[in-house]
Amino acid sequence: MISVRFPLPLPRRVKSRIALGFAAALAAGIGGLVLLALSGWFLTAAALAGASGAAAIAAFNYLIPAAAIRGLAIVRTAARYGERLWSHEAALHALAGLRSTLFARLAHADGRSAPDLSGGDASARLIGDIAALEDLVVRRPGIPAAIGTMLVGIGAVALAGWLAALLLLAVLALLLAALAILPTRLSAAPAAEAAAATAALRRMLVDYAAARSEIITYGLADRVTGLLAEQADRLDSAQRQLARIEAASSGLLILGSALAAALTLMASTASAPLTALAMLAATACIEAVAAIARSSAREAAVAEGTERLRVLLALPAPQDAPSVAATASWPLGLGQATFAAGSRIALTGPSGSGKTRVIEALAGLRAPAHLLSLDGKALAMLPEAELRRQIALAPQEPMLIAGTVADNLRLARPGIDAAAMEQALRTAQLWDRITRMPQGLDTMLGEDGGILSGGERKRLSLARALLAERPWLLLDEPTEGLDAATEASLVAALGAWLDATGTGLLIASHRAAPLALAAVVVPVEAIPAA
Amino acid sequence: MRIPKAAGLAWTSDIIGAGIFAWGAASALEARLEGTSGMATGAALMLLGGLLRLASLYGAQVLGFDEGRLLARSRRATLFPHLLSLAGPAAPALGATATLAIDHVAAEQAKVARFDPVRKSATMAPILVVLVVALQSRVAALILFLTLIPFVIGMILAGGAARQAADRQMAAITALSALYVDRIRHLPIIRHFAAEDRIARQAGGAAEDVAERTIAVLRAAFLSSAVLEFFAALSVALVAVYCGFSLLGLLPFNPPEQLDYRAAFFVLVMAPEFYLPMRRLAAAYHEKQLGEAAEKALAQVPEPVSRPAASDHVSLQSVAIVWPGHRIGPISFELGARGLVCITGPTGSGKTSLLAAIAGQVAPSEGALETLPAEAIAWAGQVPLLLPTTLDDNLRLGRPDAGEDEVAAAMRAVGLDALVARRDNGLATAIDHHGAWLSGGERRRLGLARALIADRPLLLADEPTADLDAASADQIIALLKAEAQRRAVIVATHDERLAALADQVIAL
Repeated sequence: MISVRFPLPLPRRVKSRIALGFAAALAAGIGGLVLLALSGWFLTAAALAGASGAAAIAAFNYLIPAAAIRGLAIVRTAARYGERLWSHEAALHALAGLRSTLFARLAHADGRSAPDLSGGDASARLIGDIAALEDLVVRRPGIPAAIGTMLVGIGAVALAGWLAALLLLAVLALLLAALAILPTRLSAAPAAEAAAATAALRRMLVDYAAARSEIITYGLADRVTGLLAEQADRLDSAQRQLARIEAASSGLLILGSALAAALTLMASTASAPLTALAMLAATACIEAVAAIARSSAREAAVAEGTERLRVLLALPAPQDAPSVAATASWPLGLGQATFAAGSRIALTGPSGSGKTRVIEALAGLRAPAHLLSLDGKALAMLPEAELRRQIALAPQEPMLIAGTVADNLRLARPGIDAAAMEQALRTAQLWDRITRMPQGLDTMLGEDGGILSGGERKRLSLARALLAERPWLLLDEPTEGLDAATEASLVAALGAWLDATGTGLLIASHRAAPLALAAVVVPVEAIPAA
Repeated sequence: MRIPKAAGLAWTSDIIGAGIFAWGAASALEARLEGTSGMATGAALMLLGGLLRLASLYGAQVLGFDEGRLLARSRRATLFPHLLSLAGPAAPALGATATLAIDHVAAEQAKVARFDPVRKSATMAPILVVLVVALQSRVAALILFLTLIPFVIGMILAGGAARQAADRQMAAITALSALYVDRIRHLPIIRHFAAEDRIARQAGGAAEDVAERTIAVLRAAFLSSAVLEFFAALSVALVAVYCGFSLLGLLPFNPPEQLDYRAAFFVLVMAPEFYLPMRRLAAAYHEKQLGEAAEKALAQVPEPVSRPAASDHVSLQSVAIVWPGHRIGPISFELGARGLVCITGPTGSGKTSLLAAIAGQVAPSEGALETLPAEAIAWAGQVPLLLPTTLDDNLRLGRPDAGEDEVAAAMRAVGLDALVARRDNGLATAIDHHGAWLSGGERRRLGLARALIADRPLLLADEPTADLDAASADQIIALLKAEAQRRAVIVATHDERLAALADQVIAL
C-alpha cells in the first residue's frame, strides 16, 4: 500500500477536492455493488414468484427494485465521473502548487550557494518528477472508498450466512496479500534495473548526441548504435518481467472474483434470491481490491520521483524579498583603492587574468576571489540583496531570457514603461533595430535572444542594465562584435547617460573606444586575492 | 516490419471464460432455486471460467508487451543512427534527442502493447457477446445492441472534444517545460536584477495554467467515459428489468421467446461483458493519445542532409543558416589547403552550427557552400565522444591503423603525454561511459589528439582552448598555428589570443 507521502502539506483547496472525491468514490463503489446484487436478487425472486402462480406474482413488489436498478445505474455513473474529476483536480492543483513552491525556493536561493542544477536537470525534476507524484494524490480518495465498498460487500454477503462472509474475508485477505504486497516485492529488482537502464541510456544518448558531429565525421554511427542497443535490450528484459507481474496480477484478480462467487454460492445457507444477491456482491467486492492493487503497483515510480526532488525540497522557504530600491550610493573598493560613487573605472588586464571574475563577484553571480569591498565592507560579508541595490550588470554573455524584447527589459525592475524602454534602447543604439521589427518591443526573441545578432544581444543586455537604475553600472566587453561607427555612437550615448545620471562605471574591455569612458585605470593584477 | 497481432485474439478469448463462468453461475443458482443437484458442477464451471480468464488476460498482456517490444526494437534500429547523423540547428537538442529516442519510442511501444490489441478485441468481443447472449435470449441481445447506437454517438461527440483539448494540453506542457528550462538557466541574472518574485509568480502562474488546461482535457475525457459507463450500466439495468418482468410474465408486450431462469441469469451476468472491451479501450485511450503524439514527433525528425559536392577547398559565398527564431550569417570566406580561420561570437550565435555546415553536416539555407569530402575532414568537438573501450581505441576512432608513434606524438602535441604516463596501463587504460577520470579540458584535448591522429586535410576544432589553464591554452594555440602551416584549420573560439593569430576572423 501507499507508504510514500506527498512532500509538502496539501492546501485546503486540494484537501476539499480529496474529500469530495472520496464521497463520490464511495457512492460509485457502493452504487455499483448494490446495482449488481439487487439485479441478481430481483431476477431470482421474480423467477420464484413467476413459478408460484398468479397470487405470488400479484404480491411481488417489482416496482421498487426495478426503479432502484435504473436509478442506481445513473447514480453510479455520475458518482464515478465526480470521483475522477475531483481526484484529478486535487492532484493537478497539488502538483502545480508544488512546482510553484519549489521554483520559488530555487529562485530565491542565494546564487552563490544554490544547488548547481543545469536548466534541463532542474526542469526535469520540476516537470517530470513532480508529474510522477500525480498518482499519489489521485489514488488517495479511492483507497478508503474501496475499503468502504468492501465492508458493504461483506455485509451483503453475510445475508447468505456467516460462513460465506468468512470465506469472502479469507479470499479478500489472500488477494490483498498477493496483489498489494507480492507485486511490490517481486517488481522491486526489475523496476530498479529498468530505471538504471533508462538512466544509462539517457546519459549515453545525451553524451553521444553532444558528439554527433564527430560521429558523423568519423562514420561511427553503427558502432554507437550497437552500444545503445545493448542498454535498450537490458531495459526491455526488465520491463518484460514487470509486464508479466502486472499481467499475472490482473489475471489473479479475475480468478479471485470467480473463486469468491463460487465459495459464496456453496456456503450460502439463505434462500436462492439472497444467494444470488450475495454471489454478485462478492464479485463486486473483489473489484474494489483492484483500486488498492493499482496503487501499490505504482509506488516504486512515486518513491523515485520523491527521491529526486529531495535537493529542491531541502532548500529553505523564501523570506520576504528585501527592498532593492537604491539607497545611498556606496563607494567601491578594488584591492586597497577605494572609489567614490560616480567614479568611472576601467578594469584592464590580459585575457584570462580575472576581469570577468571580479565583475561577476561584484554583481553577486559568483563568490569573490579578489579583495573587493562596498562601503568598506568585504564583499563576501555582504548579503546578495545589498549587492543588488548597488550594482547593475551587463555581462559578457548577454543572458537573455526566452520571451519578448520587453520581457527582457522588464526584468531590470518592476514598473518599467514603454517610454523608459525606448530611452534605454536609444542609449544602447538598438532602438532603430527594434522599431524595424514587425512587433517592436513585443517581438519574440527565441532562446538566448535567437533572432538578434551577437552584438545586438549585448546591447539589449546593456539597455536592461541601464533600466535597473542602480548606483554602479558594470560592463563586460560591451562593444564586442560592433563595427567602429556603431561603437563610437554607443560610447558617446553612454557617456551622456553617465553624465546625466551620475552613475558609477566599472568597465572591462580590450577595445580602446569604450575604455575612453573611464577616468581611472585599475589593472586586475593590482587587486590582491581575497 | 510486420508486428504479429495475437494479443487482440487473446483479449477476445476472455469472452469464452466469461461465458463459462456465467453458465456455471446460472446453472448452480438454478439448481439452488429448484433444489436439484448440480450446484457443485456449476461452481466447478465458475472456477474453470475464472482460470480461463486468467490465462486470457495474462496471455493478452504478455503477448501485447512482446508486440510492443518488437516495434520498439525495429524503431530504435533506424532511429538511433538517424538521430546521431543530424547536426546543426535543425537537429533536436540534446535533451530532446533523449526524449525522442527513449520517451517517444516508449510511448509508441505502450500504444502497440496496450491500446492496439484492445482496439482489435473491442470490435470482435462485443459481437461475440451478442451472439452468445442471443443463443439464450434474442430480446436481451437486441437490448444490448440497441444501447450501442446512442453510445457510439455520445462517444463521437465527447471524443472529438477530448482530442482537441488533448492537443492543446500537449502544447501547454511542452511550453511549460521550455519556460522552466529557460528561467532556471537564467536564474543568476534574474537574481541579479532581484526579479525572482516576478519570475517565480510567472512560473507558478504557468504551472497553474497547465493544471487548468489539463483539467479541461480530463473533463472531456471523463465525460466520454461517463457516457460509456452510463450505457454499460443502463444495458445491465434494462436486461435485468426485462428478464425479471419476463420471468414474472408481466411484460407489456408479447415476447417472442420463453425465458427460463438459467437463461435469464446467464444473460444478466454476460451483459456487463458487452461493454467491458470498450471500457478497456477507454482505459488505454491515454496510451493511444501519447503514442500518436509520439509518432507525430518522430515523423518530424528532419532527414539527414545530403552532402555538398566534394571540392578541394572550402568556399562560402553569402552562406546563411536560418531556422525559426534564429539566423546565422550571411558569411563569405575562402580557405585553401593551408591557413587558420577563426569563427568568433557570443554563445548561441551559431559558431558550432557554422562549423557543422563547413563539415557538410548542415545544409545552408542561403548562399553557396563548397567543402571537402567527409573523409578529408577531422573534427575536434567541445564534448568529444568517449566510447567504453580503451584510451588507445578512442584515440584511433578516426584512423584505426595509425602507428603507435603517431598516437604518442599527438598526445605529446596536445600535452596529454603526462596524463598517459601517470596511468598504470598507459594507453590501454579503460574508459567508462562518462570518462570519469578525465577533466573537461583533458577530454577536449583528447578530441583534438584524435583529430590529429586522423591526419586529414581539413581540421575543424570547436572551442579548443576552453576549460584550459593559460599554459595549456598557449600550447594548443601554438599547435593550431603550426598545424595551419600544413593543412586547413578552422576554429570556433572565444579566445582572443587564438583569434589574434588567425589569417581570417569571421565574427558572428
